[in-house]
Amino acid sequence: MTDQDIFDALSQILRILLRNESVVLTARTTRRDVPGWDSLNYINFIAAVEGKFGIKFRMADVESFETVGSIVEAIKARKGA
Amino acid sequence: MLFNSDEFILLFLPVTVAGFLLFGRGSRSLAWAWLIAASIFFYAWWRPFNLVIIGSSIAVNFAFACVLLRLAREDSRRRLRTLVLTSGILFNVAFLGYFKYANFLVIAANDLTGSNFVLAHIILPLGISFITFQKIALLVDVAGGRVESFTTRDFLLFVLFFPPLISGPIVHYRELIPQVHAAKCRFNADMFAAALTLFCFGLFKKVVLADGIAQYVSPIFAAAAAGEVMTLPHAWFAAVGFTEQIYFDFSGYSDMACGAALFFGLRLPINFDSPLRASSIINFWVHWHMTLTRFLTAYIYNPIALALLRRRSAKGMSTLSSRGSSAGAFVSVLVWPVLATMLVSGAWHGAGYTFLLWGLLHGVYLIVNHAWRQYGPASTPPKGMRPPFVTFIGFILTFVAVTFGMILFRAPDLASAVNLVKGFVGFHGILPVRDVANAAPIQGELVAISLRALAYLVGLLVIALLMPNSLQMMSKYEPALYIEKHAPQVAGVGPSFYWRPSIPWMGFIAVLAAVSMIRLSGRSEFLYWQF
Repeated sequence: MTDQDIFDALSQILRILLRNESVVLTARTTRRDVPGWDSLNYINFIAAVEGKFGIKFRMADVESFETVGSIVEAIKARKGA
Repeated sequence: MLFNSDEFILLFLPVTVAGFLLFGRGSRSLAWAWLIAASIFFYAWWRPFNLVIIGSSIAVNFAFACVLLRLAREDSRRRLRTLVLTSGILFNVAFLGYFKYANFLVIAANDLTGSNFVLAHIILPLGISFITFQKIALLVDVAGGRVESFTTRDFLLFVLFFPPLISGPIVHYRELIPQVHAAKCRFNADMFAAALTLFCFGLFKKVVLADGIAQYVSPIFAAAAAGEVMTLPHAWFAAVGFTEQIYFDFSGYSDMACGAALFFGLRLPINFDSPLRASSIINFWVHWHMTLTRFLTAYIYNPIALALLRRRSAKGMSTLSSRGSSAGAFVSVLVWPVLATMLVSGAWHGAGYTFLLWGLLHGVYLIVNHAWRQYGPASTPPKGMRPPFVTFIGFILTFVAVTFGMILFRAPDLASAVNLVKGFVGFHGILPVRDVANAAPIQGELVAISLRALAYLVGLLVIALLMPNSLQMMSKYEPALYIEKHAPQVAGVGPSFYWRPSIPWMGFIAVLAAVSMIRLSGRSEFLYWQF
């Protein structure tokens, strides 16, 4: 799985969650950049990502992800571990 | 020591800043050591014994942090790490619980069982609620590998740094200490001017605006507590007036904390961003006491919601989407975490039934808000594209809901809260019992609402709702972290009032400072300092 595949998968999850087809996530995207991506949808997103990749994030990570790029890094680290 | 005191403004702050800059010319380590020493003095001023209490908490947390630092590097010992982290959090919660809630729990137990236990009165160490939360966040960061190393000095600086010590903003280690490492500890004219300005803005908000309205609000709550029947105008004046009071009080305090930190080149996170303009309850909490909302979301709401979501998806049940979720999903993964979070918030604010009710009320507000988003009219256009009247209705509903809640927050006991709530909804009649003529409180009689009081109430409302806020005006100099850059206009139109170090601004700030210092003679305390 390439980084781009992961970004695509994340974008797709958020599109379904927010019912907004125009969502495109990049490494630098933050929650503020996406309208409607509030704390509730954030935690739903995290749960959906965990399901999709079969991983569990650490609570400290969930709290401190600044960008989508850092989420992708954490996914790769978890998948690799 | 409180920020709005002569000894802080005229002695402690100037001496500490001067010493810091002086030492900074020679050695940065010396400057930080000076700041730690000054912070200890600041904390001990009110009651030196507090140092022993807080010192023991610091020592235990230091030990926990050291152990967690070792375990965080070894992925094979996750279980042990979780165990140590849990013990650390429990220690902090128990520490806070003993000082803050032991008395209340004994009262509640007496109420329930009809017994009559008496506990020696426990004096609350200054700022313990804030200090406790900050330490819990540190332990979580260390365990999660977000803080990879720390020295004793950095640890002490983080737990003792005086500006956010007693009432926040609740700052993370990972936000503060990297700034310490990068700071030059030298005099910088722009930064100094910004720090002084922000401190003066905060002081003015506190001693002129908040204390100004407090003199009209407090007698009403006192009369309500004395059993005086509250009619509609008084209840509304009390609710709206207290909402203004606590907003200017606490946001003023936060400005002073951010300003004081900036003297040392350090930026604290923004804590208030004109919350009373919010057009929904969710939005209110995004802009009110922002560092607390952030803390509660990260450490209470998220873990509960995530655990519930994981469990539901493991069972193959539906989870939440942004609209039209199943009722089961809504109740189990939204209602429970929100209620739990807001109850904790209520309890954190104070030991008493009224605070628990206030937390519960806001939990219900938030659930209604989320339910509206899930099941309300489908075609809600995104923010900024809504018709103005929709936003306006949202604003009115939010404002009334928030001010209504403030009755519970401020009322000294349940009986006076009920009295005021009945007045607020018109149960006690629409007109004041006695005529409006005299502003002076009369023992046992309802205080009249004078024209002067009304003018104060409306004036503060105009400032809170229409004027650009202090951090907005200063945003070009980034006096705090995470300031959203919206133009500092009046009511969203016309010219932008950006602060810059100039003669006209200096004159303006000097007037604010002078008025504040004159008013300071009739001193009061921060509402939040005891939390």
